[in-house]
Amino acid sequence: MALEKLDLLILKTLLLSPRHGYGIGQRIEQMSGGVFRITLGALYPALQRLERSGLVKGSWSTSENNRRARYYTLTAAGRRRLTASQKAWERTVAAMMRVLHAEE
Amino acid sequence: MTGLWRRIVEITRRRAVDREAAEELAHHVEMLVARKVEAGVDEAEARRQARIEIGSVESTLEQLAEERTGFAFEQLGREVTYAARILRRSPGLTLLSVATLGVGIGVSTLLFVLVNAIVLRPLPYPEPDRLVRIFDTNLQAGMHRAGVATANIADWRLRSSSFEGIAGYYSMGRTLSGNSDAEVLIAAQVSGDFFALVRVPPHLGRAFSEDETRRAQFSSAVAPIGPDPVVMLSHGLWRRLGGDPSVVGRTLTLDRRVFKVVGVMPDRFALPQPDIDLWIPWDLSGNQPRDQHYVGAIARLKPGLSVGQAEDELNSVAGQLALEHPATNRGWGVRLAPLHDETVGDTASVLWVLLAAVGLLLLVACANVALLSLMRSLDRSGETAVRLALGASPARLLREFLMESILIAGLGGALGSVIAAAGLRLLPVFTTDLPRLREVTVDSRVLVFGTGLTILSAILSGMPQAWRQSRMLPAAGRSLTSPRLTDTGRRHVFRDAMVVSQVALAVILMAGSGLLVRSFLHLRGADPGFDPRGVLVAPIFLDSQAYNSGERSRTYYRTLFERLTALPSVLSVGGATTVPTSPLGPDFERPVWPEKAAPDSARRVPASVRMVTPGYFRTLGLRLADGRAIDDRDAPKSTPVLMVNETLAARLWPGERAVGRRLVVDYSTAGTYPYEIIGVVGDVQFRGPRSDPQPEIYFPHNQKPYLIMNVVLKTAGDPHALIPAVRRTLKDVDPQKPAHELIPLEELLGATYARDRQAMVALLVFAGTAIFLAVLSVYGVLAQRVRERSREIGLRMALGADASSLVGWVATAGLRLLAIGLAAGLLAAWGLSGSLERLLVGVAPTDALTAAVVVGLLAGIGLVATVVPSWRATRIDPVTILRQG
Repeated sequence: MALEKLDLLILKTLLLSPRHGYGIGQRIEQMSGGVFRITLGALYPALQRLERSGLVKGSWSTSENNRRARYYTLTAAGRRRLTASQKAWERTVAAMMRVLHAEE
Repeated sequence: MTGLWRRIVEITRRRAVDREAAEELAHHVEMLVARKVEAGVDEAEARRQARIEIGSVESTLEQLAEERTGFAFEQLGREVTYAARILRRSPGLTLLSVATLGVGIGVSTLLFVLVNAIVLRPLPYPEPDRLVRIFDTNLQAGMHRAGVATANIADWRLRSSSFEGIAGYYSMGRTLSGNSDAEVLIAAQVSGDFFALVRVPPHLGRAFSEDETRRAQFSSAVAPIGPDPVVMLSHGLWRRLGGDPSVVGRTLTLDRRVFKVVGVMPDRFALPQPDIDLWIPWDLSGNQPRDQHYVGAIARLKPGLSVGQAEDELNSVAGQLALEHPATNRGWGVRLAPLHDETVGDTASVLWVLLAAVGLLLLVACANVALLSLMRSLDRSGETAVRLALGASPARLLREFLMESILIAGLGGALGSVIAAAGLRLLPVFTTDLPRLREVTVDSRVLVFGTGLTILSAILSGMPQAWRQSRMLPAAGRSLTSPRLTDTGRRHVFRDAMVVSQVALAVILMAGSGLLVRSFLHLRGADPGFDPRGVLVAPIFLDSQAYNSGERSRTYYRTLFERLTALPSVLSVGGATTVPTSPLGPDFERPVWPEKAAPDSARRVPASVRMVTPGYFRTLGLRLADGRAIDDRDAPKSTPVLMVNETLAARLWPGERAVGRRLVVDYSTAGTYPYEIIGVVGDVQFRGPRSDPQPEIYFPHNQKPYLIMNVVLKTAGDPHALIPAVRRTLKDVDPQKPAHELIPLEELLGATYARDRQAMVALLVFAGTAIFLAVLSVYGVLAQRVRERSREIGLRMALGADASSLVGWVATAGLRLLAIGLAAGLLAAWGLSGSLERLLVGVAPTDALTAAVVVGLLAGIGLVATVVPSWRATRIDPVTILRQG
């Protein structure tokens, strides 16, 4: 099953290292060149969903400013799902582009 | 697994999860605010901006919480609805599964209720594991559980240190007279320590005082009791008399004496026996005989002492007494038994066997239901494959399959609790003789057991399918293209295993019930030495108040017998102090020895004493082995005579005639005299077909009158029909002396192996149900196999296979399953047979005949189950099949 756009972005940010919620939001914003701005109401329900499906795993630890923060790690299942979904997205996007740019 | 774990955490630690979410969001906001402050915005402004950029923490928290609960419930709800829809699609199979599990769970729970209340729960007295019963033993004489001699109790109390108290008691019938008709009550006369050592306080009033006990000095059980007698009532009698809370201080007339009520015992106080009505005090401290072993004894051990230690101590006291009183005490020892074991008796082993049997039945039921759902899912494998291909996750499919089993088991559990509750209500209709029947209630342990059983059933009946599915799912996706031609081998392994295990379990149950049937037939067919047919027993307790001389009781019985003999349809009338298998009446022993032998020789043996009337032998159909029977010639003033039974004659004069010899009977209260032996009576299994004949002597009642008598009447018809006339006659002769209970002797004899009958019937029902389920499975599996292979069968037929080879093909498959199950079942039954040993009489646990019958029966039923599907196979029309092709 394909992932929603935000889910895919979240998994992508976790590919190399675990992050807390704020870090995920920052990273997405930064990578998208400020196009995607993530609200709390979008980010945390998505994280909760991903954790429940076993794609990410949250655990408490100390953040860079010495405060307790919940860090999310990509699980093995999440990694597989990311790879599969990324390919599907790429195909979709490529197809979209072909359709949109096609000369009528 | 992390996902599932997360959900469990969410449900079980909801508060903590909420708190963590709040903390997490707060952290997010703080990070953002901190960055803005770093960039030079003041904090209040930074917070305002953050709120606009990323939204409100509160509404996000609400959204999270809502999604969590919604998600868990929605998911569960969806799965339940889906499973329910699947189950509704095949209502017949579903109902069958629910009913199968319901009966299995219900009957198992019912039996556990009994095991729990009767065997597992301690007796309802304080620290009951320290309560013991004491028996006198005389191993040389083969006596293992004799009553104790009263004087010995006094000595034990003085010389032993293992006990907090030792009490003696003796139960007999006493007549209550009052406003309505007189009735006979069961009264226990109990020594001083009795209530104190059991430690159950009275429900009303108080127990007997020391003074009241001291006044109650009567040497013999039937002697008049002392002045100002007092009585305590059982809860049942108290309620029967109106349940007056101010009953203490009132009076009752018992055996024509006025007794003052001092107390009422609580319900469930069932000592010394369940049907006890009242207690009167009895002083045992006086100088009492040492050789009359008839008193019941109960004791409480000191804390920390084992039964064995206390028994050793009492036996050393018994050893001292044997040295001090060789004439009466030599050869006598002591045996202690936990009161719990004595109360429960052989019922415990019967209940355990039945619980184990019903456990096997429940396994059969689970295997059956597992098979049904397996077959359902096989028929649905096409659908499953489609759903997989459309992207349903295997885990989800598995959850759905398991949900079906959980629903079925849940419904089965509900049905089971109804069945168990109904069974519990009906229990008193089927059996009134279970020990501790009044204590049978449902407690938390039963609820845990029932719930556990339901969960276990869900797992057992759901796992085979789930497991198979989990191995099949990857293949199922591929088989979408040709669902009918692939996957023929492995899927059958599970199905066949279910069938084979059912057959094997059914065989175990059949073998067990077969053994019990054989044992029961042996018991019923055994010749007890008397003929109970058409005999009615009427226990009469004359009181010493009105019948204080031998002449009076002789006159009473003479008048009674004349009147009873005159009744129409009465063939003969007799009487004896105790009759075989009747629980009422004085059954005691006296030492006897041949006249020439020394009083302390090995030929001094204890013999059970019966006083009988001349009509007794004919009425009970006793065999006269030698000499003559007691008759009217044996009058009060003529030569003192007696009869001995074959066992006693053989022990004292092996290989020689006993008739004409003289036997000395140590009849302590009346002195030690020789009696002339006039005849030898055939042996009687006095306590029923499980008991061995004991040495017995029979005195003429005319020469040794006794107040208590079991009157026996023989009729050609149904002895029940005699009851009204006998009651009327008793009332005419003395309105104050009704009989306790009028019971046909056949019922008394049957009661001695009632437990065997109950166990047999229960096990037969279990085995029958198991066979039914197993055969149903064999049939179902073969039918499905024919259905699945209908293409192949059609092809074979089109290619010229004849009907007989097809029948053979299907039948072989069925018979193979039966044969494997049968072999496995017989092996297991053989291994388990030892557990039945305690219940069996006259048949070995590894009885070959029983095994042969089981094999024959199962083969017969199994053949029927295979024939129908085989025949169906021949009815397949090859043309239709090939067109479907």
